[in-house]
Amino acid sequence: MSSFGFGLMTAAVLAIATVGFTMQFAVTNVLNLAYGSVMINSAFVAYYFNKHGMNAWITLIFGVILGSVVSWAINKFVFTPFQRRNLAPITVVIVALGVDLIGTFGLQAIVGGGYVSFSVSPGREFHILGMFLSGMQLIILAICAVVLILVHWLLKYTRLGKAMRATSANANLARNSGVKTQRVISTTWLISGALCGLAGTIFALNTGVFEATSAQLYIVMLLAAMFLGGPGEPYGAMFGALTIGLATEISAAYISPQYKEVVAFVVLLGMLTFRPYGIFGSEKTN
Amino acid sequence: MSAYAFYLATIIVYGAVDAMACLALNVEFGFSGISNFGFIIFQSVGAYVAAVLSMPAAASSNGGFQEYILGWNLPWPLPWIGAAIAGGLLALPFVFLVGKRLRGDFAAVGLLVSAVLLNVLVKNYVPLFNGDAGISLVPAPFQSIWNPQGLGYQFAYGAVAVVLTVLVYFLLKRVTESPYGRSLRAMRDNDIVADSLGKSLRRQRTSMLVLGGMVAGLSGAILVGFISLWAPGAWGYAETIVLFAAIILGGAGNHKGAILGAILVPLGFEEITRFLPPLSNPMLVPALEWVAIGLLIILFLWFRPDGILPERRRILSGENASVAEASVAPAGADSDALIKLGNIDELDFRQLLRLKDVVNDHHVILSTQGLSKAFHGVNVVSDVSISIQQGRVTGLIGPNGAGKSTTLAMLAGTLASSGGKIFYEGRDITNVPSHERAQMGLVRTFQLASEFKKLTVLENLVSAIPHQSGDSFWGAVRGKRFWGREDHENIERAKEILGGFGLSHYADTYAGSLSGGQRRLVEIMRALLAEPKVLLLDEPMAGVHPNLAHKIGDQLTRLAQGGMTILMVEHELSIMDAFCDPVIVLAEGRVLAEGTMAELRAKEEVVEAYLVG
Repeated sequence: MSSFGFGLMTAAVLAIATVGFTMQFAVTNVLNLAYGSVMINSAFVAYYFNKHGMNAWITLIFGVILGSVVSWAINKFVFTPFQRRNLAPITVVIVALGVDLIGTFGLQAIVGGGYVSFSVSPGREFHILGMFLSGMQLIILAICAVVLILVHWLLKYTRLGKAMRATSANANLARNSGVKTQRVISTTWLISGALCGLAGTIFALNTGVFEATSAQLYIVMLLAAMFLGGPGEPYGAMFGALTIGLATEISAAYISPQYKEVVAFVVLLGMLTFRPYGIFGSEKTN
Repeated sequence: MSAYAFYLATIIVYGAVDAMACLALNVEFGFSGISNFGFIIFQSVGAYVAAVLSMPAAASSNGGFQEYILGWNLPWPLPWIGAAIAGGLLALPFVFLVGKRLRGDFAAVGLLVSAVLLNVLVKNYVPLFNGDAGISLVPAPFQSIWNPQGLGYQFAYGAVAVVLTVLVYFLLKRVTESPYGRSLRAMRDNDIVADSLGKSLRRQRTSMLVLGGMVAGLSGAILVGFISLWAPGAWGYAETIVLFAAIILGGAGNHKGAILGAILVPLGFEEITRFLPPLSNPMLVPALEWVAIGLLIILFLWFRPDGILPERRRILSGENASVAEASVAPAGADSDALIKLGNIDELDFRQLLRLKDVVNDHHVILSTQGLSKAFHGVNVVSDVSISIQQGRVTGLIGPNGAGKSTTLAMLAGTLASSGGKIFYEGRDITNVPSHERAQMGLVRTFQLASEFKKLTVLENLVSAIPHQSGDSFWGAVRGKRFWGREDHENIERAKEILGGFGLSHYADTYAGSLSGGQRRLVEIMRALLAEPKVLLLDEPMAGVHPNLAHKIGDQLTRLAQGGMTILMVEHELSIMDAFCDPVIVLAEGRVLAEGTMAELRAKEEVVEAYLVG
């Protein structure tokens, strides 16, 4: 049952990250492989304030802001100009890999290669439904739950959410119907970037120790969760994240922790091979 | 002095290995459009396999301090051959990823993830290749009779590596500069269209992944024989990005560019940093190296996307290069001028297209039964049953959104149907893939731009010709002597047709730089050269000058009289009036009426559908 608790934590963090990732794909059709590097940079900014005495939970705000601004800037100044040139999607993905290298190793050049950790009290341990969860883990779960509900509210009940869904379904049609797609795309990147920053910071909090390249493998989990639920589908991302998060941790407990990512890999390859538009999805038309 | 000599020998070996890897990746990425983000695992498997084939059995050697499989103690060159075979075999599981029409970036991500996965597995499963510590003490070839530490040995090793690289260069060049290479580049530029012209994407991509994998495997073998160790740390997925950076820098689609890139990026970066003074932070230099690789990729893709040595334009017209250079899109050439140039009326297409005489019996050659297509639960085409008669020009009209193009796409196999059946010459072809339908003579054109952008106009045309002896891997390997004469004849035929359409001046222009109307013409010519029995045209005359459109219509009529069957989607009713009989009317995904245009004009529901729709 303890592996279920671990799985729940992994799934919660992964859900936040995947929702942001899939939203970016939905509105701009880019597999943003630089996502992991923005996550870890956000974590380090939050850590910087924490190191200088600020309460770890308050530093989350700085992680969120950095993730938001940096993601917006990457889209605005890198991806969008390249996309205007009408290149094959793969070119932008290669560009994203370049951005990822710059982000990850630029950070490593600044902070060095050592492991760091937040100074935060884990709080007392709670025994809930057979799981042992620390106070810190409960706070993380609560944050994730609140944020996912907010995302749901945004998508379902606001004009912006509707505009996002319209842009994602068919950007040209949305533009012709009076949706200011450029503004919607920018806002989406700000919001998804905020999710990315939040995910990066709580990922670092949850993992305990981390360093500049800690999020490099995370992209695989993200991709697996996204493709499981269908690329560009925020609710699918939540489902995918829950499945992948639980599956990796439970397999870690029953098989071997060294192979815990293997489940995610296998799921991802299976999805790409047999159902690239997700379990529930179908091929998009244009 | 001798320190420098040893250093030089090392550089030569590394340079050859990197060049070989870049040549292989370039054939996959630059020529065939396969973004193999997992390329490094092909090199790596070669290194491991060469190592364990040349090493003695694990238990008997080295006091058993390392674990590995095989250990066959084979003499050179068997381990290297085994490495190449292993690299080729490793490509086979990925056929599922690249074979079908999965988005290029999705397939790339799948390969990237596979590379990461294999690294994790090899790192953690020690019995395979000694896990994270890696394999060491790999014997150098002939080390029992020649000291591998000696300068002579090291230079000899370098020489062998260079010779093999040169051989690889000529082999790959032979493959890419052939009709087969043309098909590869067509697939790279537009895979769906290449598929609809009869190219098997799966077979072409598999061949190139296997070929690239074999070369990559060999390069790994050469490397491991020289450095005598191999571990998971040496082949992280990011190493592939370095090789991509090299190709983008040097010039994708250019073999010399790949070699230049190999010298500048993997080799250059590694070597330059050796000469930097030691810093207090040992992570700093490698970290900044990665940052520089990232910057190089982005800056080059932005400022010089074709690389330092861009892909060469292939001049097929036989005119010398400078004339061809000057003929790039004469400014302000309007379509009227083009019609005067063209002699389309005089061409004998039936001879040019090598059409056999067919007796027109107007039997039903292509038909559908209850054909349907639904997107997201919305029926775009529902229950369409039509029969197309041989030797006629059948029209397909209907208001926007009537499902005309969707129907055409299902007939050609570009889109899978959601229900119903398609019959061609009495055979149920509902589940036959589109390239096979094209090979059976069912050829389509596209409504949207579908030219192969970085193929010249002539190359676009010639690429469509079926049954070329040089349009297969082995045909290409047999060389120009095998396919040259036939290719020359094909080019001459294509030139004649090009002249008929008034586009001779553009023979050596990249098709991507033509105007919209000209591209339509290229597409019609290309489809004709694919030697169709049934030609499916999707708004072929859009953007074409009306006079020329009617001349093309006349030619199509003549082709039909000679036995070709044509189904044409067209908005322009005057074209329908002049050339099509019968005409089928679709509205809201259903067949509304069928008959001659005169009959249709008398039907109220047809007129209404058109006016209201």
